[in-house]
Amino acid sequence: MNEKIVFGQYYNVDSWLHRLDPRTKLIAVFLYMVALFVIKDIYLLGAFLGLAIIVIATSKIPLVKFLNSLKMVSFILLFTFFFQLLLRKDGELLATFSFHMTIANALIIITLFTLFFLSKKIIKNFRVVLLCVVLITGFYVQYKFQFSYLLFTYQVRIFDSGLMMSLYILLRIITLLFISSLLTLTTKPTDLNNGLEAILKPLKYIGIKVATLTMMISIALRFIPTLINEAEKILKAQASRGVDFKEGKIGAKVMQIISLLVPMFVIAYKRAYDLADAMEARGFIPDAPRTSINLLKYRLSDYFTLGFCLVLLVITIYLRIFYAL
Amino acid sequence: MAINFRKVSYSYSSLKKNKQVKFAISDVNLEISEKDEFIAIVGHTGSGKSTLVQLMNALLIPSLGEIDILGTMIHPRVKAKLKPIRKKVGLVFQFPEYQLFEETSLKDIVFGPKNFGMSAEEAMQKATEAAHLVGLSDDILEKSPFAISGGQMRKVAIAGILASNPDVLILDEPTVGLDPFGKGELLKLLKKINEQEHKSIIIITHDMEVVSEVAKRVIVLDSATIVYDGDTKALFKNEEFLMKHNLDYPELMKLMHSLREKLGLDIDIHQYSVEEAYQELYRVLGDTHE
Repeated sequence: MNEKIVFGQYYNVDSWLHRLDPRTKLIAVFLYMVALFVIKDIYLLGAFLGLAIIVIATSKIPLVKFLNSLKMVSFILLFTFFFQLLLRKDGELLATFSFHMTIANALIIITLFTLFFLSKKIIKNFRVVLLCVVLITGFYVQYKFQFSYLLFTYQVRIFDSGLMMSLYILLRIITLLFISSLLTLTTKPTDLNNGLEAILKPLKYIGIKVATLTMMISIALRFIPTLINEAEKILKAQASRGVDFKEGKIGAKVMQIISLLVPMFVIAYKRAYDLADAMEARGFIPDAPRTSINLLKYRLSDYFTLGFCLVLLVITIYLRIFYAL
Repeated sequence: MAINFRKVSYSYSSLKKNKQVKFAISDVNLEISEKDEFIAIVGHTGSGKSTLVQLMNALLIPSLGEIDILGTMIHPRVKAKLKPIRKKVGLVFQFPEYQLFEETSLKDIVFGPKNFGMSAEEAMQKATEAAHLVGLSDDILEKSPFAISGGQMRKVAIAGILASNPDVLILDEPTVGLDPFGKGELLKLLKKINEQEHKSIIIITHDMEVVSEVAKRVIVLDSATIVYDGDTKALFKNEEFLMKHNLDYPELMKLMHSLREKLGLDIDIHQYSVEEAYQELYRVLGDTHE
């Protein structure tokens, strides 16, 4: 209850990346991402990943934080990788594998998967690595052993374009994730919001109320911990009335969720009205021009970073057009 | 059968070796009988009152030590089902009106007993009984809980706990935000439940008025530990202790106190009702100031 709920990924250390202006970081990340989508050559893409890792190394943030962001999408990564690898059928044939599904092999594979799911409670980390091991042994067994009754045989052909494409997509997604986590890890949500407001300011000339929008975002961010606190209270209050959120049939589950959601809606509305009154009482006028207490200021490192990213983008576009890389 | 705390500590952050953690409740020993107790828990904001009562119905599991809640042992590695405990020890949270969610007030009161496995009919019967006990009329029971007044909402929420027929009733700041009339009614109701049904009642409060009016026993918490546990009247007699822990006298005693100080009257300031105070003043002044 007294513990501070940290929202966002922000990792509090002091590095040149933390000190950069949020506007710079937003624009730089945007330029870098555009460049990533311009590149066609896999080696160049590798170089971009390398550059991202070098920048990460200077950020004083432990690498684990970045790997964590990979962990969340690791299943999707694995899936797209194998999908591309197995289904692309153009270019040069690299290798052909024949797999034999026999009764013994089927039994081995089933045991492996049951072990994988049963170990859920014992081994909690590195599940994806474990899944890879299970998959690889599963295929290896089919490739190598042909004991007992043969059910069927099938072939998998790997083509060079398939291999290239799957590696290409893998590299691109990993770089994208690294760069975007670099932004959220080094910038506080409020700074991010201020930066966004500053960048989007020109949109007011085409009638978009940027200040109102970003005010909404910052209020939403501000109220997440408050609402989490309220939700905890309601959860406990309903638990005192015999709600057990861990158990129950589907019918009961629906009722349990309603018993949380309805009070949360009521509280959120009440808070919103109270806040609106408080803001008005302190002279807040929607759409009126406002000054900020923390002025954003570009420094030398900002100009350097922006210039660097811009040059990077121009080079990639140039290479794409003239060398088709 | 009772609630027994044995060397109980609780921390909101997990305990780790070589790491100093802040305890919300630290090394508490406590014994609360199942019947006829009327306890007030007082203490500053952040002294651990809410944590203490949440430990009593196993909403929080102690980090150290063990609690015997009406026969079920709760310790850091407990695997017992906690739901039956929550039926036996009913906890009404602060501002309980925010937990209401059903279409009608009656349905909301039925929600608890139904969750605890009562049949629909039995739950309905218990709910109606509880509603009448707290003084809700039938037309309010048919209304949406969002269409009735704040005081009535609180009654609905309290009835929602009472309907589950708990053995021990705990209320976290039940009188906050109620008008004097609503407050008086609520205290009367709690007294009634305590005297007629012999259920133990535990309330958290900042209001010394409430303490002196209803509580037989007071527990004073200060920075995560119990500094006083005993008779209400004895607590108010210990002026030094009250000063030390920033506790206030009830209004009536404040009045008697200033009468004694300002007018130099030789009176006993420890009076808990207007009638008693009048008698005391009459005893001293009766003959001369008639």
